[in-house]
Amino acid sequence: MANLLWLQGGACSGNTMSFLNAEEPSACDLVTDFGINILWHPSLGLELGENLQKLLNALTSGQMPLDIFVFEGTVVNAPKGTGEWNRFAGRPMKDWVSDLAKVASYTVAIGDCATWGGIPATAPNPSESQGLQFLKRQHGGYLGAAYKSKAGLPVINVPGCPAHPDWITQIVVAVATGRGADLSLDEFQRPKTFFTSFTQTGCTRNMHFAYKVSATEYGQRKGCLFYDLGCRGPMTHSPCNRILWNRQSSKTRAGMPCMGCTEPEFPFFDLAPGTVFKTQTLMGVPKDLPQGVDKSGYIKLTAAAKAASPAWAENDIFVV
Amino acid sequence: MASENGAVLKSIADMLANGLKTEVEPFPETDKEFAEILLQLRQLDPKDLESKLVIGGFLDHPYGPDRQRCLECMYYLVHRRWCDLPELSVPVDPDWWCRLWRI
Repeated sequence: MANLLWLQGGACSGNTMSFLNAEEPSACDLVTDFGINILWHPSLGLELGENLQKLLNALTSGQMPLDIFVFEGTVVNAPKGTGEWNRFAGRPMKDWVSDLAKVASYTVAIGDCATWGGIPATAPNPSESQGLQFLKRQHGGYLGAAYKSKAGLPVINVPGCPAHPDWITQIVVAVATGRGADLSLDEFQRPKTFFTSFTQTGCTRNMHFAYKVSATEYGQRKGCLFYDLGCRGPMTHSPCNRILWNRQSSKTRAGMPCMGCTEPEFPFFDLAPGTVFKTQTLMGVPKDLPQGVDKSGYIKLTAAAKAASPAWAENDIFVV
Repeated sequence: MASENGAVLKSIADMLANGLKTEVEPFPETDKEFAEILLQLRQLDPKDLESKLVIGGFLDHPYGPDRQRCLECMYYLVHRRWCDLPELSVPVDPDWWCRLWRI
């Protein structure tokens, strides 16, 4: 039996909603099939007030083991580093985070806010938000760069806005069933099994990417969303087109550009009108090219691909 | 349809060959500037070909040190020889260029 505690900091509950929609395995499977004891969760926990404080104190004192500490949302430090803007169970949430992270066998950050700071940490960051071990791309975050949980791992980052339901439950099951040592993490402490390939991997529009045929409007079934509509699929590490959402779709499959939400810089855009969902260019060339491709190579590739493209690439091949 | 497109293509080619002055500069470096040109195009009668060419900054030859052409532009459909940018939607030649060129 592995004890799991899930707390929320500066969060919208999106990752909780995602978690509760998990299917393989489901949140119920965690309890019934994998022996995970969910001590408390903001949407599922029964304890309130003093009873919750007792539970938390039992964990921080070591009276009760904490095997998996899951945190959703940012660590809120405002105002002036006190954390008083986000109080929980009688004290600033950030103080609970400090104490619980010390006793946890594994600490798991779920969603962009807990991993990198996400939208709340976007400048000017009025809530003085941080991720658990990163602030955007900067290593450190609230717990500091040197932090390791009792099992010897740094914070396991499962980013996304929200994280896919199954990324969450599969990582939780891996650590709960003693396979934590098998987890291989990338430079941003994301499990490589999910975050090595790109969002573009498995995208149904790859043929349109290859032949440089652009979608010009949302929801179009033909055309690549990278060229004009700001899709970040070629630069974003996620399995969104391998492990589908609701088992059947993804943003790009539905004609919606990838927003790059598993990368530390998310939300990327300065949010000024005309910058969101628009590929940012310099003299007509995208500022962000597919990873590993330079401008000169990109222009040559485009000319060759266009010249070689077959007629069907210009048609809506999904219409029967 | 093909012959109709051919006629429009010839009409555009004739206008450009006859020295139609188009707004090649300034090139829209930012998306805000790009969007402003699109806005001007949206206000036109879709059949107002000459104004489309002028505002779009059309040239009947490649442009710039990189010799940019419609052929490489994301909006160009090779087989239809067509500009698929909704605000333009005109037949074009692969060796032409306009200031809405994007790759």
